[in-house]
Amino acid sequence: MSRRTFIKITAVAGATVAASRLFSHPALGSVVYSPELPGGEGVITEKWVPTSCLNCDTRCATRVRVVNGRAVKVTGNPLSRVSEGENCARANVGLQVLYDPARITAPLKRTNPAKGRGIDPGWTEISWEQALSEVGDKLKTLREKGQPERLLLLSGLNTVSAEDIIRRFAGAYGTPNLVSADGLNNEADKAGEWMADGHYTQSAYDLERTNYILSFGASILESYKPLARSLRMWGKIRGERPNRAKVVVIDPRYSVTALRADQWVPINPGTDGALALAIAHAIISEGLYDVDFVNNRTSGFDEYKKLVLDYYDPDTVSGITGIPAETIRQIAREFAATGPAIAWRGRGATSWPNGSYTSYAIFCLNALVGSIDVPGGVIYQENPPYRPLPEPAEDDTAIKGRARPALDLRKTERFPAAEVVTNQVADSILKNNPYPVEMAIGFNSNFNMSAPGTGRWDAALEKIPYYVHAAPFISEMAEYADIFLPLTTFMEEWAYDHSPPGSGFAEVRIKQPVVEPLYNTRNNIDIIFNIAGRLGGTVEQSFAGIGDDAGGFVKYRTAVLAPWNKLLEQGVWVGPDYEYYKYDRIFKTPSGKFEFRSGNLEALLKEQGEEINSLTGLPYYREVQYLGDSSDYPLLLSTYQPLLNVENGSQNYPWAQEMFLVMHGAGWTNFVEINRRTAQKLKIKDGDTVWVESPFDRIKTKARVFEGIHPGVVSIAGGQGHRAYGEWAKGIGVNPNEIIGVDYDRLSGQAALFNTRIRVYKA
Amino acid sequence: MARWGMVIDLSKCTGCQSCSVACKAENNVPHGSPEEHEKRQTPFWHKVIAVSSGEYPTVRIDLIPMPCMHCDDAPCVTVCPAKATYRREDGIVIQDFRRCIGCKYCIVACPYGARSFNYKEPDEEEYQRPDPPSERADRGIWPFPHRIHGVVEKCTFCFHRIDEAVKEGKKVGEEVVPACAEACPAHAIYFGDLDDAGSQVSRLLASRQWLRLREEMGTSPKVFYLTR
Repeated sequence: MSRRTFIKITAVAGATVAASRLFSHPALGSVVYSPELPGGEGVITEKWVPTSCLNCDTRCATRVRVVNGRAVKVTGNPLSRVSEGENCARANVGLQVLYDPARITAPLKRTNPAKGRGIDPGWTEISWEQALSEVGDKLKTLREKGQPERLLLLSGLNTVSAEDIIRRFAGAYGTPNLVSADGLNNEADKAGEWMADGHYTQSAYDLERTNYILSFGASILESYKPLARSLRMWGKIRGERPNRAKVVVIDPRYSVTALRADQWVPINPGTDGALALAIAHAIISEGLYDVDFVNNRTSGFDEYKKLVLDYYDPDTVSGITGIPAETIRQIAREFAATGPAIAWRGRGATSWPNGSYTSYAIFCLNALVGSIDVPGGVIYQENPPYRPLPEPAEDDTAIKGRARPALDLRKTERFPAAEVVTNQVADSILKNNPYPVEMAIGFNSNFNMSAPGTGRWDAALEKIPYYVHAAPFISEMAEYADIFLPLTTFMEEWAYDHSPPGSGFAEVRIKQPVVEPLYNTRNNIDIIFNIAGRLGGTVEQSFAGIGDDAGGFVKYRTAVLAPWNKLLEQGVWVGPDYEYYKYDRIFKTPSGKFEFRSGNLEALLKEQGEEINSLTGLPYYREVQYLGDSSDYPLLLSTYQPLLNVENGSQNYPWAQEMFLVMHGAGWTNFVEINRRTAQKLKIKDGDTVWVESPFDRIKTKARVFEGIHPGVVSIAGGQGHRAYGEWAKGIGVNPNEIIGVDYDRLSGQAALFNTRIRVYKA
Repeated sequence: MARWGMVIDLSKCTGCQSCSVACKAENNVPHGSPEEHEKRQTPFWHKVIAVSSGEYPTVRIDLIPMPCMHCDDAPCVTVCPAKATYRREDGIVIQDFRRCIGCKYCIVACPYGARSFNYKEPDEEEYQRPDPPSERADRGIWPFPHRIHGVVEKCTFCFHRIDEAVKEGKKVGEEVVPACAEACPAHAIYFGDLDDAGSQVSRLLASRQWLRLREEMGTSPKVFYLTR
C-alpha cells in the first residue's frame, strides 16, 4: 500500500466513524457531513472570527476558527501590535472555557435559606424575567430607602467594557462600594510609581528596546501582564537581535523567569527595598548615575542621596538581604552601564506591609540611570480614545450615597493613598463598618478563594442578606448567592478590551460572538442595561443613548476609532506610535519633575493631618512585621501564580490542569515546595503528606523537596483548591489563601501576601 | 525530497507551554485526568519537560519542549513487529493506527518518551468527547479524526499541514509550520528542510551551537536545540 492510499483510506474511514458520532451528539447535530466526499473535504462552513481572550486581564487579541458552528482553534491576531499577533497557552484553553461541561445554563434561585461552605443552595431554575425582576425590586427598595451605599458591587475579571458599565451603574445608583480584585494584585506597585511621578498605575516597560532587566520578584514569564507581550518580546530581546538583553532575577524562589534569566539572585524575603537602596548606594557612590537626567528632571536627589549613602552601604545591606556585597555592586554596575535598563518590580517584592515604599525604592532606580520615558526604559501607557460617555444623570440619592465613606476604607487614615482595598471589605461587612451591607452583586468575582483569609469572606458572604452572583459557572462565591445569573463566556459576547500598561501605544480589541450563546445566558452588560431600565429615574436615564445593549454599547464607544465594519473585520485598533521624552508633561508632581522625595505623598498625608518627618517622603526601608512568632512558626509561606492558573475564577480546564506546574512536571495538583536542607532538618521526604500550619489555620498537602527555594521559605502555587464545582477542579490541590493572614501595605491597601509565618510537619 | 527537521531555541523559549496546548487542540489528543496523570498515562504528543541539576542556590532547571524527535535511525521503527511505525521518505516518522497491535515495544524502545499509549476504553465518557470532523485541522486534512483504542500515538510533525503545503506549493517553514511552532509566542521553534542549506533551520544550525538529546543512542534525531 502506498502512503497516499493509506492516508486516503484512513481519512475516509475515519470520516465515516466521526460522522456517525457527530450525528449522535446534540451540540453538533447541525453538522452535515458526507463520508462520500472526496479526500475528506466535508467542510460546510468555516470562518475565522477576530475576538479577544479573557483568561487573564491581558485580554489578547485572538482569532477563532469556527467550523460548522463549533469553535475549534484559537490563534493570535497578527494585527495586534501589543503581542505582535501572539498568545500564551491560556488563550488555547479558551475553547475549554466555552465548552466547559459544568457551565450553568439558566438563571438559578436559591431554595435553601441556610448559607455556608458546602451547604447545598438547593438551586432551582427560574426565568430571566423572574431573576431580573427580583433583583430589580430589591435594588429599587434599597434605593427608595435612601441607602444606595448599602449595595456592594464586586468585580472580578471582566471585560473593560463591562467594567465601564459596572462603574457607571455604581455611580448612577449611588454607591461608593465598587470593589475590584486590584487590591489583591499590584496596588503597591502603583502607589510606588505615584510617589515618584504622580501616576497611580502599573508601570509600563519598553521591553522591546531594553538591554537590561533587573526583576525584583516580577514573574515576567508567568503572570505579569501583559503576558503575551512579555513572551513575544522575550524571544525578541534574547535571540532576535545582535545585542542580547541581560536579565537578572531577584526572588527567593527559582521561578520560570529566574530559570530563563542569566542570573538568579535569591534574596531574604521582604528585603527587596533594602537591596534597591544598596544598588542606589553603589551607583551613586561610584558616580555611575545619569547626571544630566538627575540634575534636570528630578527633585529631592540630595536628600535621597544622603539617605542612601548614610544607611544602605552594600556591606550592611548584604546582612539584611543575604546577598553578597560584591553581587550587589556587580548588579549596580551592570544596571548603570548597560542602558537602557529597567528595574522591574512585581508582587513578590511589593505585596508586603510597607510595599509602597519598596515599590518606590525600586522604581527610583530607573530614574537614577535615566530610564524614564526613553526607548527601552519606563514608559507611560496611552489610554485608548474611546468615545467619552455623557455625564450620568444623578439625583440626590446618588449624590448622597456616593459621598458616604466606602466599606474598604480607601483614602482614610487607615489606607491613605488607596484606590481599592479588596480584602478589607470582608471585615467591614462583618463589623458593619461603617454601615451594614444590605445587598451585593458579584460579577465574576471569587474573593473567598482568591483573597487571603478566605474564612472571613465566607462569613461575610453568609451575612449579606441578599447576594446576587453573575458568572458562567458556580464558583466558591456563587455558592452563597440568592440569585445566580449565568453569563456568556467571552467567546459568545460583545465587548471591547485593552491590556494593562505595557505597550505604551494604545490598542483596542473588539470582542464579537464567535459562536451563538450555547445556553440561556446573558452578557453582564446586557444585564445592567436591563436592571437600569427597571430602576427608572436617573439610573435609567444614565443608560439612555449609549447603545441600549452590549453590542450597541461597544459600537457607541469604539466606532469613533475606525469604521465599524473594519473594526469587526480586523478585531483590533492600534493607536499612533509611542512618543518618548515627554518630560514637559508626564510628571504629575508638585515640582513637575521626577521626585526622589515624594511631594505627592507628603501633601496627601498632611491633608489627612498626619505628622511628616524627614523620612516620610523618602523611599526608606523598614523591616517587615511578620504574622506569627518565629519560634513557633519558623518558615515563611509564599505563593506564586503559574501560567496555567486561569484567572477567571475557575480551573475546570483539563488542558490547564494536566500541565499545571511545568517546573515540576506535575499536573492536577499543587504542593508545598520546600528546600532540601530544610526538609532534611524536618525529616520530611519528597512526596510526604504534610500539614502547613499558620497561626490562623492549617492545610494538608504533599511536600515537594526542591532546590529552587530559599531555605527559610516554602511556596505553594495558587489556582487550586476549588471546592464548589467542576469535575476537573473540585477537590484538586489546596488553596494557600486559607491559611494566609490578613495584613496590608498601609498606603495603598495592597494585601500583604507573603508575611505569614508557618510551620510544616508530617501528617 | 526534503528532510524535515525542527530547531528549538532554548534561549528564546519561555516555558509557557503554548506549544503543548496547541498540539492538543490541533491533533485532538485526548486530555488526561488526575488518575491517568498519577499512572503516567496521559497522552501527550508534545510536552515541555523539566531537567534539573545542582543545589540551592546554584540550581539549574531547563525546560525543554519535546515533540517526537523523528529520528533518522528510529529505534521505534526497528522494533515494531507490525510495521505500524515507519519513516517516510521526507523523514517524518509515522504511526499507522490501523496496523498497530498495541504491543508497546516502541514505547520501550523510544529513548525520548515521545510515545503515548491510548488506554482509554471506548465506552469511557471522556473518550467519547466529541471528536472534531477531519477538517478540524487548520491546514490540510487531518487524517485521524477518530481515535483508536489500544494503539500507540505520537507526534506527526503535523504532517497533514506539511503535505497540504507541499501540494499547494507553499513554503514549509515560512508559510506553514507545525501547530507547536505556530503557537510559540517567543518564536523559539523553527521548522524546515534540513537538506536545504538555505532554509532557516539549516542557517541556524550552521551559525549557532546546538545539541541533540541522547546523541549517544545513535538515533540521529531531527529535533535540534540551540543552547542558551
